[in-house]
Amino acid sequence: MIKLDNVSLVFQGGSVALSNVTTNISEGEFVYLIGHSGSGKSSLLKLLYKEYSATKGDIEVVDMDVTSLPKWKIPLLRRKLGIVTQEPQLLEDRTTFENISFALEVLGFEEKEIDVKTSTLIDLVGLNESMYKFPSQLSGGEQTRACIARALASNPLVLLCDEPTGNLDPDLSIQIISLLEKINRAGTTVLMATHDSSIVNRRKKRVLQLKDGKLLSDVDQGRYV
Amino acid sequence: MKKLNYVFKNTFINMRRNPLLVIATMLAVLVSSFLVFTTLSARAIVENNTSRWQNGVHVVIFLDDRVTSTAHKQLQDTLESYPEVRMVEYFTKSEASDEFKILFKDQPELLQEVDFDILPTSLRINLNDPADYQLIIERMDGNPAVKEIRASGEAIERLLSLTNTLVLSATIFAGLIAFAAFILIINTLRLTAYAKKKEIKIMRTIGASSTYIRLPFIFEAVFESLIGTSFAVGLGWGFIQYSKTSFIAESIFDIAISDSYLINLTLILLLSTVIFGFFASFVGIRKALND
Ligand SMILES: Nc1ncnc2c1ncn2[C@@H]1O[C@H](COP(=O)(O)OP(=O)(O)O)[C@@H](O)[C@H]1O
Ligand SMILES: [Mg+2]
Repeated sequence: MIKLDNVSLVFQGGSVALSNVTTNISEGEFVYLIGHSGSGKSSLLKLLYKEYSATKGDIEVVDMDVTSLPKWKIPLLRRKLGIVTQEPQLLEDRTTFENISFALEVLGFEEKEIDVKTSTLIDLVGLNESMYKFPSQLSGGEQTRACIARALASNPLVLLCDEPTGNLDPDLSIQIISLLEKINRAGTTVLMATHDSSIVNRRKKRVLQLKDGKLLSDVDQGRYV
Repeated sequence: MKKLNYVFKNTFINMRRNPLLVIATMLAVLVSSFLVFTTLSARAIVENNTSRWQNGVHVVIFLDDRVTSTAHKQLQDTLESYPEVRMVEYFTKSEASDEFKILFKDQPELLQEVDFDILPTSLRINLNDPADYQLIIERMDGNPAVKEIRASGEAIERLLSLTNTLVLSATIFAGLIAFAAFILIINTLRLTAYAKKKEIKIMRTIGASSTYIRLPFIFEAVFESLIGTSFAVGLGWGFIQYSKTSFIAESIFDIAISDSYLINLTLILLLSTVIFGFFASFVGIRKALND
């Protein structure tokens, strides 16, 4: 589902975000990407949806050759991915419901379908109570849920989440993780970046550890130390 | 279809964001198109009128009847050999009196008094470019067969050059105002793009195509321009209709302009406006969306 072959990313100023990362994620997996702040987690995710282009190496995502993907095909790639960015990107002047239906509208769904699908998504992430609230009236956890719901609008094959538990206390974090695991059980491949080792250690999933842009370890079902 | 709906909706949402800029853009396009429309119409009217007045004749050479008709014929051949000359017509005495009778048919007293024999034979010259009449006068000067030369072109030539100056200066002004409209559009789109930065970023992340993101911007530019030109054309038509009944039409000018000319002018203006809108939006988007 996701293949990285000897991928490096060097920014224009010369700062190295990733160096020689090689890994493989299969369909249906749930993988944590862990590392300290600045270790290259966000950069790696951005390479996968071609927000950044690799300086070196080959990337393949959902059977698309990302490395040589022409600009006009980037939307096609992104429609197969669900993307939750590090900063919750919600439109302040729209309710939770409208923020999610907006994505469906952009994706070209029919009006009738949009309402039904939006309700289903809201139900899935447990935001029924807050669906007519504006982002400023939502807690951090609720905002993240709204972003996850929106990311699922296109029925993605892969869900990429960048620190969805970033600013949440442990209880709320676990709720988000449970939600992502539920989504994963329904068949979506999940790749989640986090710097929080306590979460990762409890869930016993595959863990990719980044340090200074290098892939330090790749441990399945084990504990990350 | 669903998508077009979104595009239209957003075009209007965007336009509501900067109503003053939108109005300024429409006004600038209106003034610019109005200038183009009216001056081109005015020139067409002047051209129609001048060609009528002259009946295609630019220079008349009255011949001296004391020289032989062979000399007249020779002169005609010489004139016909000039590259500036399109056509030379030999106008006999009797033709001249016939014409005179038609021209003054409303004044029977005058016709009774006139001795038609004094009406001279003439050569009526049609030039490729009416402005060249001076050349003919110079060449014919001192020719024994020539009694008198009259260029009916002088006043008309002045009128034509006045219209040309008018058209030229109006075109320059129209161009300047169109440029202002262009800048206004670019700035409006930029402001919109800035206000919608987050929305656009989200759309990109979701997987909206860049055409889809751009369309509301393109529509906005084209729509604003079209509104401006439509009003301009409407005003222009109204102006011409009004002129037809005004004192100008009765005293100086025949407001003769064909509907097909006006329709073509309208269509060309509208088409140019669409192209203008497209072009402005492309430049505007390039600057605003930097993709
Ligand atoms: N757009 C950018 N331009 C220059 N340097 C960047 C950019 N994005 C990230 N970096 C650098 O790349 C490194 C990895 O950053 P990032 O991928 O954001 O790490 P993480 O998400 O793990 O905190 C950091 O040193 C950061 O300063
Ligand atoms: Mg990050």
